[in-house]
Amino acid sequence: MPRLILISISLLLFAACSKQEPSSSEGGPPLAVTGSAPSVSGEKLFMDNCATCHMADGGGVPNLQPPIAGSAWISAPDPQLLLTLILRGSAVLGEAATAFDNDMAPLAHLTDAEIAALATYTRQRFASSPPPNEVTPAEVALARSRPGLP
Amino acid sequence: MTRLLPILLLLVLPGAARASLPAPDADNGGLVLPPGFRALVVADKLKPLRNMTVAPNGDLYIKTRRDGIYALRDADGDGRADVVQEFGTGGGTGIALRDGWLYHSTDDHVFRYRLTPGELVPAGEPERIVRDLPNRRQHSAKVFAFGADGQLYIEVGSPSNALGEPDRAKGAVGQDPTDFLQTHGGFWRFDPAKPGQTQADGFHFSTGHRHSVTLALNPANGRLFMVMHGRDQLNTVAPQHYTAQDNAENPAEELHVLAEGMNLGWPTTYFDPRQGKRMLAPEYGGDGKKPAPAGRFPDPLIAFPAHWAPMQMAFHTGAQFPEKYRGGAFLAFHGSWNRAPEPQKGYRVVFIPFDAQGLPAGEFETFADNFAGRAEIASPNDAAHRPNGVAVGPDGSLYIADSKAGRVWRIIHTGN
Repeated sequence: MPRLILISISLLLFAACSKQEPSSSEGGPPLAVTGSAPSVSGEKLFMDNCATCHMADGGGVPNLQPPIAGSAWISAPDPQLLLTLILRGSAVLGEAATAFDNDMAPLAHLTDAEIAALATYTRQRFASSPPPNEVTPAEVALARSRPGLP
Repeated sequence: MTRLLPILLLLVLPGAARASLPAPDADNGGLVLPPGFRALVVADKLKPLRNMTVAPNGDLYIKTRRDGIYALRDADGDGRADVVQEFGTGGGTGIALRDGWLYHSTDDHVFRYRLTPGELVPAGEPERIVRDLPNRRQHSAKVFAFGADGQLYIEVGSPSNALGEPDRAKGAVGQDPTDFLQTHGGFWRFDPAKPGQTQADGFHFSTGHRHSVTLALNPANGRLFMVMHGRDQLNTVAPQHYTAQDNAENPAEELHVLAEGMNLGWPTTYFDPRQGKRMLAPEYGGDGKKPAPAGRFPDPLIAFPAHWAPMQMAFHTGAQFPEKYRGGAFLAFHGSWNRAPEPQKGYRVVFIPFDAQGLPAGEFETFADNFAGRAEIASPNDAAHRPNGVAVGPDGSLYIADSKAGRVWRIIHTGN
């Protein structure tokens, strides 16, 4: 139980901190757009890359993989924390990722446009209060350029 | 008359034994069973339960995943637990009775309590027999059993899918497992009575396996049997070689007899139940067609369907069940998660026939079903129950413990 509390607090803190980060439009490297969002299906990307572990309904698997549905990770208007997790996997969380048994693999092989579509779909489908903004390839490029957590 | 007496006794005794059985639940506790078997709920809505054991007087001891141990006693003989007590600290999986001691494991240590005859719950603090075993979360359950030699055999699982870098990722590259397997992916043998041992004090008995959540001694031949969980996510790692359906049906969960020095071929191989062949893992150059090097790793005695997640196994002793079940084994399958987008499967207890030499003989069959509560589920979250612990009572009843909703069933043979 203490571990669950720890990670819950950690996730909330990370989410809160992420809101204070500058948005991607305020800085970062030149855009590295590798595709256009409309041509990529976020739902298909989710089913191909995420649903195996997090389940099609986003409910996760008890003790093994966390639920996405309702998670603080996907509710923050600033997507940088979510994008970093998608790009680098759960290893980026260090000790904070100990509430579930399995590690999340990085999805850095996906293009910026694909990850933008994936993150947008995930937020709209599973957030308790979906952020109104779509995630852009430029925001993914910013996250990709950063070595660790935002 | 003297000659007739044994025959008359044979005719009367089964009926007498059945007369002493508790009344089953009208709905068999929600389970679907073979004809002649019935079930009752012994306890319900406990914490998530893992492995279990039964004392000679019928008391049940069940390890919880998160914290401590349950002790259950049926004081009035109606089959339902009248006394439910919790004791101890630390979540885990393994639990077993031996020579008046109750052994149990967390994910780090193996302990034992001295039981007092007649007392349900042990007094005093436990001894820590083995301490500080490797625990990196994934596959960290420390399952153990006592061999025919009286020694304590403990598994240290592999905290990995297939030792890929990055593990479970598309294009993961397999790492050299040599150093990793020095401390993971095997059984170690210890003195069951010596406190304070570390992994380095144990004898490294077997290697090259991913994880087994059971180890069961077959009294017919004194051999220990384990069931290895096969790897996950073939299509995630190598989508150019494996479809989602390929992954849903691959690889096998593997039944093996534990043998000194054996290497089960993880992480470089997996066993394909459809082809009946051991294959090279994609992290190590496999493509779904390349077989593993011949003769290096044993084939499983039984290749169970992929991703069913084998949990505790128990050999059947006692005379309550019909002849075909005697000497066989019951194995709980927790149920899959890694078959998505295909429907999830498993979520049952199967019966495995064993022959007089103590080896599997014939096809396994589903024994207790409908734990999920519906014909088809997409996620483990949709299952009403997930069978985890199995144990055989002194009268031959089969007990099953549930990791989802904390239910404990007793299965009896009434003949009706």
